[in-house]
Amino acid sequence: MCFKTLPVEFDDRGRATLRGGIPNPYDVTIAKPDVGMDETERRERIERLVARNGHIKDLNMDPVTRIAGALAVHVTADLDKGQYLDSHSQATLFRGYEVILMGRDPRDAIFVSSRACGVCGGVHAHCAAYAIEQAMGIKPPPLGTVVRNMTEAAEMGYDNPLHLYLLAGPDYSESVIRSSNPELWPKAESWACPNVDIHGFRTMAELMTALNPLTGSLYREGLEFTRLSREMVVILTGKYPHPQNVVPGGVSTTLTLQSLNEYHSKLGKIFDYAQRMLAVWDDIPAFFYEADERYQYVGHRPTNHIDPGYWDDPYAYDATYENCNAWGEKRWSTPGVVLDGKLVTTRLTDINIGLEEFVEHSYYEESQTSRFPTDPLGNPISPYHPWNKRTLPMPGARDWKEKYTWSTAPRWDRQVVEAGCYSRLLISALAQKTPTSDFISSTGSSMRLLIPKGERGEREVEWHVPERWNAFERNRGRAYHYLFSQLVGLESLFEAYKLFKQGERKVAALNPEELEKAIPQDERVSVGWWGAGRGWLTHHLVMDKGKITNYQIVTPSTINASPRDPWGQPGPYEEAVMNTPIIEDLSDPAGFTSIDMLRAIRSFDPCMPCTTHAHTGAGEIVREVNTCSCGGD
Amino acid sequence: MADRQTSSPQLAARTPAQELLDALGPITGFHDSSSLGAFGMPSGAMTEDMLASAATATVATRFGPLEKVHAFWFAGMSCDGCSVAVTGATNPSVESMMLGAHPGLPRVILHHPVLNMESGPHYLRPAEEAIEGTLDAPYVVILEGSIADEVVAHASGGYWSATGEEPWGADGELRPVSSTEWVARLAPNAAAMIAIGTCATWGGVPSAAGNPTGAMSLMDFLGKDYRSVLGVPVVNVPGCPPIGDNFTETVAAVLYFLQGFGPLPEFDELGRPAWLFGETVHRRCVRGAYYEEGTFAHEFGDPECLVEIGCWGPVVNCNITSRGAIKGLGGCMNAGGACIGCTMPGFPDKFTPFYKRPPGSLASTTVSRLVGSVIRPLRKFSNDNLNREVRWDRQGASPSAFSREKTEPSALADVGHKFYDKMRRAGDTARNDADVWGKRPDEAPSGGSPRIRS
Ligand code: SF4
Ligand code: SF4
Repeated sequence: MCFKTLPVEFDDRGRATLRGGIPNPYDVTIAKPDVGMDETERRERIERLVARNGHIKDLNMDPVTRIAGALAVHVTADLDKGQYLDSHSQATLFRGYEVILMGRDPRDAIFVSSRACGVCGGVHAHCAAYAIEQAMGIKPPPLGTVVRNMTEAAEMGYDNPLHLYLLAGPDYSESVIRSSNPELWPKAESWACPNVDIHGFRTMAELMTALNPLTGSLYREGLEFTRLSREMVVILTGKYPHPQNVVPGGVSTTLTLQSLNEYHSKLGKIFDYAQRMLAVWDDIPAFFYEADERYQYVGHRPTNHIDPGYWDDPYAYDATYENCNAWGEKRWSTPGVVLDGKLVTTRLTDINIGLEEFVEHSYYEESQTSRFPTDPLGNPISPYHPWNKRTLPMPGARDWKEKYTWSTAPRWDRQVVEAGCYSRLLISALAQKTPTSDFISSTGSSMRLLIPKGERGEREVEWHVPERWNAFERNRGRAYHYLFSQLVGLESLFEAYKLFKQGERKVAALNPEELEKAIPQDERVSVGWWGAGRGWLTHHLVMDKGKITNYQIVTPSTINASPRDPWGQPGPYEEAVMNTPIIEDLSDPAGFTSIDMLRAIRSFDPCMPCTTHAHTGAGEIVREVNTCSCGGD
Repeated sequence: MADRQTSSPQLAARTPAQELLDALGPITGFHDSSSLGAFGMPSGAMTEDMLASAATATVATRFGPLEKVHAFWFAGMSCDGCSVAVTGATNPSVESMMLGAHPGLPRVILHHPVLNMESGPHYLRPAEEAIEGTLDAPYVVILEGSIADEVVAHASGGYWSATGEEPWGADGELRPVSSTEWVARLAPNAAAMIAIGTCATWGGVPSAAGNPTGAMSLMDFLGKDYRSVLGVPVVNVPGCPPIGDNFTETVAAVLYFLQGFGPLPEFDELGRPAWLFGETVHRRCVRGAYYEEGTFAHEFGDPECLVEIGCWGPVVNCNITSRGAIKGLGGCMNAGGACIGCTMPGFPDKFTPFYKRPPGSLASTTVSRLVGSVIRPLRKFSNDNLNREVRWDRQGASPSAFSREKTEPSALADVGHKFYDKMRRAGDTARNDADVWGKRPDEAPSGGSPRIRS
């Protein structure tokens, strides 16, 4: 029984039904989640504090830099108590890719949707291919799936260091620490790094100096490794970030021993680097937790995660919705939902039917329909489910009480869940369903990863489910995910060698003529479940008479940057900011940089092609609070 | 909105940029920088100042008048893929440009949302100065992503794509500022306006049929008469994504010219760097010879020419097959991807549905099949001969164990090869009758070591 809020029950055969006797089961006033504090209470609390306290600032950080895309974060900060009282996450960009896809030939979906994101290249193209394959019933040959896995492992090899060293890393660098946290610097100078023999930095101060933007050695090395992994990707895809090799039913890569060898040679360099990366991102939390235990709460939120799994078993994946629970659980990273630290399901059908997308606070018209009351297996789905939702953009004035973002509010079982590449580690660790491997194993509370020998000796490392999710654990998790993904790349490469040995060369199920004939004329619904550098990715497709009649994309940053939902539950960024203590030096309020909020937000690796608006307005601060955060503006 | 997207620019009295500025009205001021404090400045300094010590050259090694240039990078309706492509560039790399790390390259002060240390209003301060006219060096504007029709969004009180806020609302209220508005306000005094990627150069996918945002290119937005302060129209570096090196090389070429030592970079009639986009991608395609010989891929993954599985290379201006995607590696057709014309003004709608052969290829593939049916056997014939050492011909046998199955050439083939050799050696001056007096007269006639003398 995985649903707490939605009135959905399961029979003995595991099929979902709606609980009887409820006239309008999905009405937002009927199936209500438990909400800690609602919007009115939150606003009243702020007004009470403002009345007593002049140290409250209402700020909009727009744009938040060193993230991908346009995000603004609005905060109300109590500089006296060192708290963020309120926060609004605003995605400030709309492009209408879903709208553009509607009415097109399904063959257009791969290369058009690819352009939804150029940060993690290829993920949308692949996700669209999975959606099309399911709708049209095309099962890729094993080598096609293996090439996809190799591509997408290498893609993570670019994505994770980009975030850790170019985007988030500078927040922990010498240049920031000496300015925003001067009290930490003397400590950093004398703090001996436990992992010195791996990364070579004797003190935390040395490590922090290497994190300095553009000039630091870790920054530069990170940038180089993003390039190396992109070289691995383009050997298979032709270009980056938008691949030119993805086709419905497989790939069009001309695979040769040269491509395998070049991939192999570059991958070899990565494992030594992974050891250094883990050493750095294990030492950083150790230092901060020891320096001030409040850092445990920077970016903290409950352990609520969702992920549809990633990297298929080339023999199990059959592109059907009917068997998705079986092939889903065979993915290298297990699909699942974790609520309050407990794994509640690993079934893709549960993940799918619990999903809803709300637009109360987004610049869209209400758009739910009842076109599909159930999924293709007869499991009930909500009018807010992507198959029933339409994209009706409606730009308008920003108002914290009404609409303030281009992001929507996806929820699962009406709970606020978070997506991240680290969610893959968490769910795989808890589920203990990872495929048999010499390199990757899951223990129920940790992931054991064996780093193969490079120039450095082999080493087994273990990632443990953290006690408390916070900014530091997200970054650490991302470093371990780097290794996890590269091991999947290695396993997939070996699988490609094996298939080559068997004389297997077929990389796509159909040729272009067969593909054209395979386009069905009846109405079909399907979903591509895939992943991005930040975790979760789905494309929900509806097609009829051979053309796309609805297309809905849910990205990880849509989930994480989401605004309030109909019950006033803040989205993950908003919640994480409100839980973040202000630790930076506030002896002079004018020196308030909001670094703690920035660390919290950046730890999610926001990718909006979106903005965090926090503005320091001129003039009387209290007046701004009244007009801005409490009154809407 | 359909009307706004189809009305002819020739008939419009005002450019879309002028229309937007008229709709928004004049601006009165900027953020009150004294009240900003350190908010969004965790390192206490702007990126420019942080890098100054590492990036500043003295007159002696600057090789030209420019010490630094500001580059404002704005993202319109983009996927950030152009930014990502540019971080992959290595000829030159973006970090070396920011550090002025090549002799003669002025320091490029890049204001890029993905790279900069400062956030929020501080991040936008230099752009404000550029509009005010108080910036300390010339600036270029780089636009990634297409321009949304913000006139429509503004009419309903909102925006499609925003970067920051300014006190430009009624009574000096802060309001989100669209990327489009920044571009419109910065264009008149820019040293150059550079569009990167197909969205910014030609509208790209955001402007595809059925789009709700009225997306358009930078040229469409600024109009035919736009000239920068240096008299340059919009420069276009297309590609979806572009090749990172195509962009950094273009910027470097312009800067080297301004420094006085580089040649004037040539741009074609659409503002593309002519040395990069002057050829069709087919001309340097690694599969080009398959086309010539009339052999074509039929399954995805086949090694031959991809035209019949949807390649538009013969009619697309692009250099990816010769330059590679990153560090010389990749390239669409190199890896097996058919060209979908992502660098072209007609992308995507003139290339869809994808995975379908361009109808126009029928004529030329028929011809090349015909020619190929003659050429291929002839080439095979010669190739077989060239795969033999001269010694094997003399001995009448090849010692390769791999070739055990292979029979020796037939008598007829031998005659053919002899005849061919004759033609080849016609005019070979080695056959002239000059006396070779520099070596031993009893040398083995077929070459090799001298005969053992008793
Ligand atoms: S693959 Fe495309 S570009 Fe290459 S030879 Fe064939 S048609 Fe030309
Ligand atoms: S070959 Fe075609 S698809 Fe590939 S980058 Fe060039 S224009 Fe784009």
